[in-house]
Amino acid sequence: MTTVEQTISNDAEGVEQIALLMDELGAAHQLPAGAVTDMQVALDEVLTNIVNYAHSDGRPHDIRVRLTVTADALETEIEDDGRPFDPLSIPPPDLGAPLRERAVGGLGIHFVKRLMNEVRYTLVDDRNHLVLRKLLTGQTEADARGSS
Amino acid sequence: MDLREEAVGDITVLEVKGRIDSGTAPVLGEKLTALLGAPGRRLVLDLRQIDYISSAGFRILLLSAKRADEAGNRFVLCGISGKVRQLFDLGGFLDLFAISSSREEGIAAVQ
Repeated sequence: MTTVEQTISNDAEGVEQIALLMDELGAAHQLPAGAVTDMQVALDEVLTNIVNYAHSDGRPHDIRVRLTVTADALETEIEDDGRPFDPLSIPPPDLGAPLRERAVGGLGIHFVKRLMNEVRYTLVDDRNHLVLRKLLTGQTEADARGSS
Repeated sequence: MDLREEAVGDITVLEVKGRIDSGTAPVLGEKLTALLGAPGRRLVLDLRQIDYISSAGFRILLLSAKRADEAGNRFVLCGISGKVRQLFDLGGFLDLFAISSSREEGIAAVQ
């Protein structure tokens, strides 16, 4: 088991750092490209949400990201001190609306839920903890749809 | 993310390489706004070489498609396969955008 931890600031540069770190981890452990990509999309969604909405004081805040590779899964824990926010509470977006009425609100969280095998949220000492888990073997429902 | 622009007659083909995420989507957005800014534009967006696209990227594509629709421009996507196709499917975008199976078909579709 390997764990890499990085603390980033709540800005675009921090989000980019994590995408690059995931690239490195994937290459070092020869992880399946699809699993790495799914985690990168999920991380972009979660971290961008934190950067854009978690704080309203306009000041820099740390976001702690811990990436763990186990024998059968890629797991990420994201911890921030923003306003309490459980992404699992967001209703699914309307995917059937025509082009002119189509909005993308809620799409990011929808991607996270569908691309990951497991998403867990807890609030501990006023800090948001989100755990994302992606199996390196087997498939999510989304994978099955993609290959059909 | 790299952008490569090519003119085929009066059609523009914009090829994207790398990731379209929250960091790179604004750059793509500016380019698409410039390319679709006047009426009568014809644009093929080739996504064959992207690694992935997150919701920030889809937001840009959606805005661009809406603008193209309103301005009477022709805007077609191509090169959607594998993981990228799966993301389009998950977001309900396969039926929403005009998608061609290859760059050549995309060029023919906007002609």
